[in-house]
Amino acid sequence: MSEATLDRASHGAEVMEASPFAIPSSKLVMWLFIISDACTFGAMLFAYGYIRNSAADWPLVFESASIWNALLMTFILVTSSLTVLLAVRDAANENRAGAFKWAMITAGLGVVFTILHLREWMSLIGEGVRPFQNPWGAPMFGASFFAVTGLHMAHVAGGVVALVVVGLGFKAGRYAFRHIEIWALYWHFVDLVWMFVVPLIYLLNMKR
Amino acid sequence: MSAPNSEGMGTTFIVYGAILAIAVVQVLVAMSMGPSLGRMLILAAIQAYLAVMFFMHLRDEKPTLRLALIPGTIFVLVMMNMIWADSFRLALLRSFAK
Amino acid sequence: MPEQAVHVHQAPTGFIRKYVFSLDHKIIGLQYYALAFVAVFTGMVLSWLMRIHLVWPNAPIPGLGLLSKTGAPGGIVTPEYYLQLMTMHGTLMVFFVLTNAPFAAFGNYFLPIQIGAEDMAFPRFNMMSFWTTFIAFCVLVSAFFVGDGPPLSGWTAYAPLSAVGGDPGPGQAVGQTLWGLSIFIFCIASLLGSLNFIATTLDLRTKGMTLSRMPIVSWAWFITSCIALLAFAVLLPACLLLILDRVAGTSFFVPSGLNISDHMQPHQGGSPLLWQHLFWFFGHPEVYIAILPAIGIVSHILICNMRKDMLSHKVLVYCMMAIGFLSYMVWGHHMFLSGMNPFSALVFSFPTLVITIPATIMTLIWLGSLYGSNLRINSASLFCLGFISMFVSGGVSGFFLAQPSIDIYLHATYFVVGHFHMVMGVAAIMGVFAGTYFWFPKMTGRMMNETLGKWHFFLTFIGTYAIFMPFHYLGLAGNVRRYSAFTDDYLVPLVPVHKFITFAALFTGAAQLIFIFNLFYSRFKGAPAPANPWECTSLEWSTPSSPPPFDNFGGKHPVVYHDPYQYGVKSSTGDYLMQTSPEQAGQTP
Repeated sequence: MSEATLDRASHGAEVMEASPFAIPSSKLVMWLFIISDACTFGAMLFAYGYIRNSAADWPLVFESASIWNALLMTFILVTSSLTVLLAVRDAANENRAGAFKWAMITAGLGVVFTILHLREWMSLIGEGVRPFQNPWGAPMFGASFFAVTGLHMAHVAGGVVALVVVGLGFKAGRYAFRHIEIWALYWHFVDLVWMFVVPLIYLLNMKR
Repeated sequence: MSAPNSEGMGTTFIVYGAILAIAVVQVLVAMSMGPSLGRMLILAAIQAYLAVMFFMHLRDEKPTLRLALIPGTIFVLVMMNMIWADSFRLALLRSFAK
Repeated sequence: MPEQAVHVHQAPTGFIRKYVFSLDHKIIGLQYYALAFVAVFTGMVLSWLMRIHLVWPNAPIPGLGLLSKTGAPGGIVTPEYYLQLMTMHGTLMVFFVLTNAPFAAFGNYFLPIQIGAEDMAFPRFNMMSFWTTFIAFCVLVSAFFVGDGPPLSGWTAYAPLSAVGGDPGPGQAVGQTLWGLSIFIFCIASLLGSLNFIATTLDLRTKGMTLSRMPIVSWAWFITSCIALLAFAVLLPACLLLILDRVAGTSFFVPSGLNISDHMQPHQGGSPLLWQHLFWFFGHPEVYIAILPAIGIVSHILICNMRKDMLSHKVLVYCMMAIGFLSYMVWGHHMFLSGMNPFSALVFSFPTLVITIPATIMTLIWLGSLYGSNLRINSASLFCLGFISMFVSGGVSGFFLAQPSIDIYLHATYFVVGHFHMVMGVAAIMGVFAGTYFWFPKMTGRMMNETLGKWHFFLTFIGTYAIFMPFHYLGLAGNVRRYSAFTDDYLVPLVPVHKFITFAALFTGAAQLIFIFNLFYSRFKGAPAPANPWECTSLEWSTPSSPPPFDNFGGKHPVVYHDPYQYGVKSSTGDYLMQTSPEQAGQTP
């Protein structure tokens, strides 16, 4: 049987069809994970909206202090998106120390964000909000708030761990530019979810 | 991806400022005009567009990637809107409310 | 992309790295196949127990009392235990058989080979996705052995009964939590798997293997993974919220003022419909996750055995895409009688009926291509014909169920059970059988026994019709599903039909022993397979050995010159041209 074959070892990349998107597979996978996760968060927010719509006495509780706190958290998270871009820039220029520094700053901002968020949780819990009751009205308020923001916080925490691991690995030369790049993508996505969490969870439920 | 040059970072800083400004505007709008769902979502969508296109560099990728990722996701999220009819109906039909 | 092209990895030598925690997509495919195999026979035995209990409610089943002292005291199944068996049957079959066997098992094994890759894009991910599935399976099966057994809420786990803890009945305490956990883990495994499939298909195609030259079954796996990527992403938070309802006291899915077993439930403010919406938003795409790979397998095998291309296999691919697209628009047709807004029911009914258009086009392409073709009759092609028959018979009853006004009568009757068992269950399983007979020579290097295979087909084909056609008549007669016994009322005249079904089920199940025997006998004693026993054109038949070597093509990289299905042409090899053959096709002989 006459079959043309190419020797794999000696030819490398040109024996493959080009990827339709011209990006590394790992980046494609991260993008696909992001749209999948967007549907996950979408379903969470839709569930929250459904519960909120069907409640007759949904509590509108967030004082302006909470709103300003949320705005501060937005500021921190968006700033961390900027710093992670600086890490990507340094990584692209093979500036391993710089990339490490910016990745750690980003992770640090993620930790600050989480702490601020936990403070918000603690103050709500202190006011008597539980997943099954609260002092003001529809009992599902606490469940929705904790479920949506908890899932987001889990994503932030996961991102912090990933950034530290990848940052250290990149500094030591174990990881390549694309690892920094895909975790930066993930980090932006976490930021993007927060852009919807703030108006839908905080602003819609502010005291009027 | 090409290495972002200084000009690229300049754009990034502008986008960074714009996203933060929209966040502030969003809060101010919510406080002064009331947080209507439509207004909130439009502002959030602009923020998200900026983040996806500039922070995540989707603008610099091939158009096929945009086509592969964005319409499908939006389609799925749009289809989920079919659940609202039931959520409102439940509020109107509630027979054993407190 | 360069990063994958250069990762030429060495074949492992140790047993653990080679067969257990293997990175080789072929081993992982076989692992998935083995898992589905265990799950399908567990599920089948459960269905036997259910059928026996239905017609002989007081007959003790030897040994069952050991499995559950409370559920089957003395081997006699209680009504609750009947529902528990049913739940496990459904969950095992839908998640661990219909999702795993045609998609994950065959897809893992043959997708990389068919596109000329040496492995999946991310072998480690691949291994993780199998072992995560395995953990999910163990968590689910462990429900048999804890507390008072597995849950009884069905594979759909309808809230509120699934969300309130132990009050609704046995198995609803620990068992239901394990169920939620298992499906949650399964979602993660599916996500990993589908990410890998998409990246492999897009990035690892060999030279000349453009997207339009991919075999139809590779397209089916690709489209399926795109559906799975977004569908399981919605089931994931649904399971999360269900678990929260059960362990954290939230009440996403439990309404206020619910009194179960004389216990006022503390939950307030949720909606059972929300669970149904989230679940079926995943659940309907899941149906196509089960059937699309089977459609691809069947088309691929039929083309090979017809010795000619389908009347446009590209239209088949477009139809599969259309079905994938529509699958997200129709989930409400599972909920016509749930108390959903009747207006939504109308809106969901329309796209549901539209789905019949691509489905009908596909069927017409199959039938039109078969018409006048010189079909080679073997076990694989017979099972393909069986698939088409089941797909049509089961699909036609879908017309009725898709219309809210008719569904009011048929909802939750045996008509529905017959419908989905035929079009989703048996059809997909027939696709898996066809794939097994077709690819067994490549997977093991030996042929399966054709005589036994044909016996297996005819007995299975007749048997499944004997089981599931009467289901439709039972449903039309008003027999409600999920009843564990028929009391002295209008259902009594139907009991002889149930007896017939039970005999047919036991008979069809026994016929599967032929398959098991054939599988193991042929694995060790079968006739050695030639390199390309079916004279098929796609790349999996151009590997240097059967089973293929560790890197599939022995260090070489195949180059593709043709569309996938060059049959009925004049060439040096006969009436077909391999995709890898640089020869040009001559005139049609």
